[in-house]
This record gives sequence, C-alpha cells and structure tokens, in this order.
Amino acid sequence: MLKRVNKSPFTAVAGSEKPSVIACMNRNPALAWMFLWCLSAALMLGFLPRMAMAGSLSSYDLALADAQSKQEPEEDYYEDEMIEDVSDPLEPFNRAMFVFNDKLYFWVLKPVARVYNEILPEPLRLSFKNFFLNLLTPVRAVNCLLQGKPDAFATELGRFVINTTMGVYGFGDAASVCFDIRRKDEDLGQTLGVYGAGPGVYICWPVFGPSNIRDTIGMVGDGFLNPLYFWPQESAYRIGISGFKVVNGTSLELGEYESIKKAAIDPYVAVRDGYQQYRKNKIKE
Amino acid sequence: MTARYGRVFFMSACLVFLLSSFFSSPVWAGELIDKVKETTDKIIAIVSNPEMKKAEKAAERKRLIREAIDERFDWDEMAKRTLARHWAGRSDAEKKEFVALFGKLLERTYLDKVEGYSGEKVNYEDETIDGQYGTVKVGIITTQDKSISVFYRLKKIGSDWFVYDISIEGVSLINNYRNQFNSIITKSSFQNLMERLKSNVEEGK
Repeated sequence: MLKRVNKSPFTAVAGSEKPSVIACMNRNPALAWMFLWCLSAALMLGFLPRMAMAGSLSSYDLALADAQSKQEPEEDYYEDEMIEDVSDPLEPFNRAMFVFNDKLYFWVLKPVARVYNEILPEPLRLSFKNFFLNLLTPVRAVNCLLQGKPDAFATELGRFVINTTMGVYGFGDAASVCFDIRRKDEDLGQTLGVYGAGPGVYICWPVFGPSNIRDTIGMVGDGFLNPLYFWPQESAYRIGISGFKVVNGTSLELGEYESIKKAAIDPYVAVRDGYQQYRKNKIKE
Repeated sequence: MTARYGRVFFMSACLVFLLSSFFSSPVWAGELIDKVKETTDKIIAIVSNPEMKKAEKAAERKRLIREAIDERFDWDEMAKRTLARHWAGRSDAEKKEFVALFGKLLERTYLDKVEGYSGEKVNYEDETIDGQYGTVKVGIITTQDKSISVFYRLKKIGSDWFVYDISIEGVSLINNYRNQFNSIITKSSFQNLMERLKSNVEEGK
C-alpha cells in the first residue's frame, strides 16, 4: 500500500485502497471538504427558521392539529356539506382560458410532441428531462431551506452533486437509480403555503395552466432562481430552450390529460379541484 | 488515487441517504394491505398474462378484471359520498340509477388505467385502521422511474373491507367527483347531471 499525504476529511474512515466503480469521477480533495461544509451549513441554516417558527407559529400548529383531529371520525359525512371552498370569481375568464389551453394542446403541442416522440427514443427524452430538473436544483434547495427542512436541503444538494458527476451533467438521475434518493419537489408557492398563506383566487393562465394567486407569486419568485433567467442573454434562445423543454416534457406525458378529460363530467371543475387538492397535499408534505 | 475519492463519494452518498431515510417509513404487512394486495395481484396477473392479450380474448379479459374490481370496491358508498348533501333529497329510483351509472363510469376509468399496465412496481408502504375506517398507502414506481403515492381508503362492512376512495398524489377521486357534481347540480339540475353522466358512459364504451 502506498503512503501519501492525504487532505480528504474522509480518509480516516476509508480503510483499504480497493478500486471502486464510483472512483473515477473525482480527483479533487476540495470536493470532499466542500461537501462536508455544505452539509453542516445546510444543517445550521435549516434549523434557524425552524427555531424561529417554534415561537411564532405554535398557535397556528395547534389550530392545525385541532382541525385535523376534528375531521377524523367521518361517519356518514356524505350527509354533511363537504363541498370545496375554492374561490373562483374569474370563472368565465378561466373557462375561456381552459378552452384555449385545451385547443393549444390538441392542435399544436400534441402533434409536435408526437412527431418528436417518433424521432427520439424514450431514454434520451428522459435524460433531457433529468437535465432540466437538475438545473432547477437551486429553486428546490432554497425552498427546502425557507421551509426549515434541513434534511430535504441536504438531499437536494447531494442529488445535485451525484447527478452532475455520476449522472454526467445531470442527464442521468443516478441519485434515484443507484441510491434511491428521490427529488424533493419544493417551490415558493408551497413555502408561502407553509407560512400560512391561503391559495387566493383560482386562475387558469393561458399556456401556463391552472394556478392561483399564491402559486403565481411563487412561480414569478422561483423564476429568479432559474438558470434560464441569467443565461442565455438573448430572449430568442431562452424561448427556444423553454419551448424545447415543454415539448420534451409533453412527449413523456402524452395521454395523461386525455385520460383526466375522459374520466371527467366537467373537465374544467375536475382540473380546478385536482390542482387545489394536489397543491394542498404538497404543502402538507 | 482513484480509490480514495470513490470512497469519499460513497461515504457522502451514504450520509445523504441516511439523512433522507430518517423520515421514511418501514415496510408493513397487515390485514388491509393483504386485502388491497390480493385484488391488485389478481388484476396484474390478468393484464400481464400473454394469453389474455390476444384480440379474441379482449371481452373475457375485461370481464375478469371487472370481477376482480367489483369484489373489493364499494360502488354504493362511493356514489353516496360523491352526491353528499344532494343524496338525501333523491328518490329511490334516482338513487338506484345514479349508483349504476356512476359505478360504470368508475369501473371504466379504473379499467382504462389498469389496461395500460406495463410493469410498474407496486410497494405496499403502510396501513392504518381507525374504527371501521382504514387506509393503505401504496407507492407506485412507473417505468419512467417516477414515484407516485396512492392511498386506498377502506370501510369495514361485516367482517370484510371495501375500497370507497382512491387518492393519487393527494387528489381524492371522490372529492374530485363530488365537486364536479355539486357544481353541475347547483348551476343547473340533477337531471342535467344524469344526462351528462349517461353521455359520458355511452361515449366511453
């Protein structure tokens, strides 16, 4: 065994010098230090908002716990009113936009995605999707921190390191496949929800689809953490990249919207309610 | 040289994994899981049987899946819960007709879903029982390696358990239909809802 000066913090733990599969990826001890530093920073930063919340939000937490316990014995609850409280004063506008998006999907997006589907095999399309998801790590990681979830922040950070190196610039999701470390889908809309913001008025945006006041603010805020906001400078390229991302994403989800629509009696209400339930659950997680 | 950094990598991955696994739940097995698993396994066996994929077997395949679902799903309970406060005011004939139609719609929706089965993995993660109500938590890993969380809600009738709601990624099927039906009934009428239900079931055949 060769003796050498070793600066990596993990040397003490690592025993024999047997070669391993992961080995070839990195030759820089700085990485190991950076990783440790980031982890400890994550733990400390993550705990700060949690400690701050302990005082101010305790009554809110209690109220939440109370509401949950009251819901439980749901015997014969179909006799009571359990109807949504979605605020939808914009319904005429929203319904018009829903029809617009529906046509946009069936007349433009779907035909394009189907051709694209024929040209590129699924693994390649999946790897493009992974690449874009990896680029959005800052959005998820920052929101994990803002929500006081140090473990989720560490997960996102670890996933970024693993996927950018082992996954080759994020095209492969090595963290999921090799280590079963799954993505933490956090965004600013959810963060606002965690701090008690209600959804507000429901909005169906043209092109962007279902949203509400809270999630629209969140979407705009998250936009500043999207690498596409900084680069490239030319808006034509940015639009091109975004368009490609949408087509690629759609090609992997062909048929999903169709099956929702087929199962629905009023597709507009089905999507509106589905969106609200989905977001409520995401915030609770 | 390379071995050392391989280990660094492995250690850091382990650390992240440990951190992230603090909050994941252990694998469970219990009464409710057995019930849901039995039905799911039966359906998977039918849809992945190559013999059943032949065109001339299509009708038989549908019938077998339908039987398997009917055993475990409580269409009555589902129909009541989706009409909610509009249930009590209906006549017996209306109730009967609604349960039959809605059952058909749900059956077809479920059938469409399982017929598209292409080797997704089903993990049974947890079950909870609270009196005569219970929940089974299931994780589905798609062929695109996407994980989807599904909750089956069951109710005990006699000595057996029956599914009355499925929620996928936090979206409860029954809540979703309840809001659609309420919107239609309050804006027009129960008759209008029945007409729209009928045309949907007819179209989807």
